[in-house]
Amino acid sequence: MKVMIVEDEMLLAMELESEVEMAGHVVTGLAMSSAQARQQIGSSKPDFAFVDIHLMDGPTGIDVGRELAASGIPYVFVSGNIKKIPDDFAGALGAIEKPYTMNGMKNALAYVSALIEGDDSGSPPASLVLADDANAGRRPA
Amino acid sequence: MHENDQNRQDARSAGDRLVAGHVSEDPFAAAFKATRMPMIVTDPSQADNPIIFCNAAFLKLTGYGDDEVIGRNCRFLQGPETDQDTVAKIRDNIAAGQDVAVDILNYRKDGSTFWNAVFISPVRDETDKIIYFFASQLDFTTVKSREADLASARHQAEAEVAKHTANLRAALDARSLLVHEVDHRVKNNLLTMASIVKMQARVTKDERQKQTLMSVLNRIEALSTVQRKLFTLDDVSKFDMSEFTRELVTDLVDATGRKDIRLSLDLAPLLVPAVKATPLSLIVNELVGDAVRRGLNDGGGDIHVVVKRLNGHFLIRVEDTSEPVEPDSESVELGRMLLEASTLQLGAEIERKRDGSKTIVDVVLLVGDHQENTH
Repeated sequence: MKVMIVEDEMLLAMELESEVEMAGHVVTGLAMSSAQARQQIGSSKPDFAFVDIHLMDGPTGIDVGRELAASGIPYVFVSGNIKKIPDDFAGALGAIEKPYTMNGMKNALAYVSALIEGDDSGSPPASLVLADDANAGRRPA
Repeated sequence: MHENDQNRQDARSAGDRLVAGHVSEDPFAAAFKATRMPMIVTDPSQADNPIIFCNAAFLKLTGYGDDEVIGRNCRFLQGPETDQDTVAKIRDNIAAGQDVAVDILNYRKDGSTFWNAVFISPVRDETDKIIYFFASQLDFTTVKSREADLASARHQAEAEVAKHTANLRAALDARSLLVHEVDHRVKNNLLTMASIVKMQARVTKDERQKQTLMSVLNRIEALSTVQRKLFTLDDVSKFDMSEFTRELVTDLVDATGRKDIRLSLDLAPLLVPAVKATPLSLIVNELVGDAVRRGLNDGGGDIHVVVKRLNGHFLIRVEDTSEPVEPDSESVELGRMLLEASTLQLGAEIERKRDGSKTIVDVVLLVGDHQENTH
């Protein structure tokens, strides 16, 4: 699948790009700001995206996420502070908390790519916080 | 002028008649004259209800002479700062023939002010007709000023408290911001370190070096997992060892990609002081990593991980059954060093048992409630 990476730390973005390519996917682009992300959403039509919340122009990852959701592109947040994600998860499938491990990221990517290709038989890995579970956890008992 | 003089004369005559009604031995009259409480009597049957009698205490309080008081309405004691609502209250009650008690700011002859607790009461004859009004005064200026001092002291104290509270709140906000910032940087730096090691591993041609780098990466990532789990509880000084273990072990076993590893977990919720999180986590990482390297990774098998309290002790047990393989000696050496350092750090005891293809490693740590609360 075609993957977009929205991350303002270039070193982390490049490493994630290698990881995604090693898993057999194509990276359509790395975006460091919400403007770059918007431009790429329009031009490269990714199938999936990783979105950091804090970008070069501030905590704009949430807005980028909402635009991806509006364009029907599934995505997950990748953030050091998943508590900042709004209750509705801004339409994201889930979130991977930083600092993720190599295996955590591999497992999450494998689960998500299977899901996008229509295979929902897998069970979600520990490294991926699903939007549904997070919201169930947030509701008062 | 003439009329005014006449009024005064009438008032004095009325006062004289009142006094003449009481022989000098009359103890009530004597008490009225001699008491230290300022008192006056007015005559409502005359125009403007003038004072017809006052005692020495009243003259002393107001600074006026007897001649200046008799024949005048009490309002000469009022001044610019006197509250008009209070004056109206007195007037209304007198008109209604009722008792009235008010606190009013009055003026002396020299223009100085005093707080006057006035009590006015009608005096009636046998036919219930009001013939006099009696009024007593009490100078409570000192009480009033003490009240004002107290109020001002209280306001000052409240202002101080508000100021300190604002300072504390600002300091707390700054601290929260700093903690979040530091946490964010630590997380990013851990991920950056891991990324650098991964990049090096990716460009390294030598399989052996690559393996060494991945071994370093594994330990960095154990610390990453600790950092991710820190500060997630409401009590940020505590670390949930079970939650950490669940994620770390699942991650390590998933990473082997082997479906023939059967993992079972026996994890009781266990909070430990955050300062112990790193050595404890390295212990779990080494024990599980060791089990994976000794055979699970090559031929699958069973692994059972226990984290729980046992008789006041804290037990980590890793039990694995696998076809043993000879692990990489450098890897074993690093694992042994990390395990030793971490157990020494915590004062924990480690016990290893072999039973055929089954290996059981117990790490026991004394964590009384006392110890847990030290940090």
